[in-house]
Amino acid sequence: MMKPIRVLIAKPGLDGHDRGALIIAQALRDHGMEVIYTGLRQSPVQIARAAVQEDVDVVGLSSLSGAHKSLFPKVVEALADEQAADIPVIGGGVIPAEDIPYLEEKGVAKIFTSGAPTDAIAVYIKQLMNHDTIEPPKKIAHIGIAVESLEMALPFYQNTLGLSLEAVEEVSSEKVRVAFFPIGDTKIELLEPTSDDSPIHQFISKKGEGIHHIALEVDDISHRLQQYIDEGVALIHNEPKEGAHQSQIAFLHPKAAKGVMYELCQPNQED
Amino acid sequence: MGNSSDFQQGKEKWEADVEKASQRFPERKKQFVTSSDIEIDALYTPSQEETHSYEKDLGFPGQYPYTRGIQPTMYRSRYWTMRQYAGFGSASETNKRFRYLLGQGQTGLSVAFDLPTQIGYDSDDQMAEGEVGKVGVAIDSLKDMEVLFDQIPLNEVSTSMTINAPASILLAMYIAVGEKQGVKAEELTGTIQNDILKEYIARGTYIYPPKPSMRLITDIFAYCQENLPKFNTISISGYHIREAGSTAVQEVAFTIANGIAYVDAAIEAGLKVDQFAPRLAFFFNAHNQFFEEAAKYRAARRIWAKIMKEHYQAEDPKSWKMRFHTQTGGSTLTAQQPDNNIVRVTLQALAAVMGGTQSLHTNSKDEALALPTEDSARIALRTQQIIAQESGVADTIDPLAGSYYVEALTDKIEEQVNEYLTRISEMGGAVQAVEEGYMQREIHQTAYDAQKRIESKEDIIVGLNEYKVDEEINPDLLRVDEKLEENQINRTQQVRVTRDQQKVDKCLELLRKAANTNDNVMPHIVESVKAYATVGEIANVLRAEFGEYTAM
Repeated sequence: MMKPIRVLIAKPGLDGHDRGALIIAQALRDHGMEVIYTGLRQSPVQIARAAVQEDVDVVGLSSLSGAHKSLFPKVVEALADEQAADIPVIGGGVIPAEDIPYLEEKGVAKIFTSGAPTDAIAVYIKQLMNHDTIEPPKKIAHIGIAVESLEMALPFYQNTLGLSLEAVEEVSSEKVRVAFFPIGDTKIELLEPTSDDSPIHQFISKKGEGIHHIALEVDDISHRLQQYIDEGVALIHNEPKEGAHQSQIAFLHPKAAKGVMYELCQPNQED
Repeated sequence: MGNSSDFQQGKEKWEADVEKASQRFPERKKQFVTSSDIEIDALYTPSQEETHSYEKDLGFPGQYPYTRGIQPTMYRSRYWTMRQYAGFGSASETNKRFRYLLGQGQTGLSVAFDLPTQIGYDSDDQMAEGEVGKVGVAIDSLKDMEVLFDQIPLNEVSTSMTINAPASILLAMYIAVGEKQGVKAEELTGTIQNDILKEYIARGTYIYPPKPSMRLITDIFAYCQENLPKFNTISISGYHIREAGSTAVQEVAFTIANGIAYVDAAIEAGLKVDQFAPRLAFFFNAHNQFFEEAAKYRAARRIWAKIMKEHYQAEDPKSWKMRFHTQTGGSTLTAQQPDNNIVRVTLQALAAVMGGTQSLHTNSKDEALALPTEDSARIALRTQQIIAQESGVADTIDPLAGSYYVEALTDKIEEQVNEYLTRISEMGGAVQAVEEGYMQREIHQTAYDAQKRIESKEDIIVGLNEYKVDEEINPDLLRVDEKLEENQINRTQQVRVTRDQQKVDKCLELLRKAANTNDNVMPHIVESVKAYATVGEIANVLRAEFGEYTAM
């Protein structure tokens, strides 16, 4: 279980309008974050101290009084004084667009202006937090090719290309029989439907035989799926399921990647 | 009611027609509701039961229960007061804007103070940093107030001041400026907002805890009754409650609950209801749902009249009348396609006029982005003038009365408000409910639900979640000069070295003593401001005696 993201929502200065701050606090809680709201009238130093004491991952500031240009940078400075410059500061409220470059230059990570959906703010914070922990996929684990019959396809791979067959395996969850041919650091995977309601059968009857998907090897499949869910990436599987060789797999929807179906594939540790 | 079997026949035929038509053209929504979640029927018809009595529920304009308006002539004799809230930067800049607005046909002034002034800090207080002159004018001492009203004769304008926790201080300064102009206190007209309960609920510019704050308010009631008989001593405000996210029903319910708390406090302080109730004023919002808004004002008048007459046994009809100011809804404006806001403001202003408001502020189109520029403030005022002079809606009284829908909505709002009032009364009244955070929670839940409906596009906000365009993001905005803070600090420090410090100390000491006893603090505050004691110095004396409020 991942540690939840902790957020400090703060109202710097004397502004008493906290409808927005309260809505965002609740929306972030609904996104599974732990949110501390400081209440009204906090000085930059008070905010920075609260951020350190509460051990938060990010500070969100709200101001509707026009004091943002003076107060937001002061919070960034106060965090640095508390040896907490690594805590990113984001802000929102009534903030003219032309002030945004100035605030970013002063170290505010991002400004959300009036009309920004709360989901976008939540996703941004999650991305901000995942920035260092999510690595790009390791390699192409395999390229999946849909075929009517393994027996009919094998000769091309074995004889014409000269690849050697690693294994033939039945994956009952997907109603397919698969054959693997290692090639360099990756593999070709041939998929044969074992019944008429197999996804591969449906694929072939719609599009004919051919490339079905590209599988990417990852080592953080659950975490990555959660991130994709949060970002609204179209998925076929919201949770990992068992694939060949007891690997964990999940498919992204082709509409997420211009018609290409990607599979995430995390090999069994003991492999 | 005509022939009731004809009515029944017609209704049944219509229902059958609807049944048939909706197979091809189904209704746009499963259920239609107002902002207050009141279900809206497809059609309203004359009631078949005689549950209504015209005389009892509506009556005539200027007559109890005032559903149709508080004056017998309403806008046929005088339009509502067009009162644009203004103020930014320094007193001299704001004075220029005031004189511009008066020159453009505005009929009353409305002062916006900056946040340090509203929370009782001088401009050189550390807490004021970054906020000086931002959302209103910075007033530290009588010197600033003299500049603010320079060349504006206080016996000719009525002035509304949005000031709450330090209301007594700013009122004292207004009295002092009048005196310097040769205007007697009893001639002064205007309003101080002075509504602390809604500050705890929704607006946030509180200083002291509820109990001493209520005492300051009743001190003002008593002082004004003797010295400023034409001044409205409080403007009990639903505006900010609505801006914080409440429904129309909650706006009226919580405002009236607060009103009841002030009346109770004043009676407890020994005042007679008919001595102070005629000077109570109200302040409501105007949002986009036209009929609900118009019905809201009508219902609010009727509820207040009944409470004052039946519950408090007030005898003076002036005590029964709910007089109110309206401002269009700032939170309904969008930063996207700001020109569309002119249309929103027009609809809202029209609803306020249909509801019989006594005065009106129309927001400027750019207020979701910054304070209004002079151009956009002029369009906002012109919007009112067009409604008044060109639309003809002001030529008869309460023109929506008798609309089956509007009367049904008025009744429904009254009913739901009364449910809230009962609940709050059972909790021990508004002060108790505020301390427990009850209203705050109710409002927040409504606000959050509304945000979710916008994000899921269940509610469409034109230009925000539908009909979007790529737009120029830097329209001309009003910017407050960043140098202003420094200049204001210098000016105030100048006042401190040129005034008679001994006199200031003596006045503040007398004020401290009065705060500690049951003496009315108002006369001491008046003396202190005349000696050029600052807003912050006076507020600090009271802070030391009363303590400060911190929200839960």
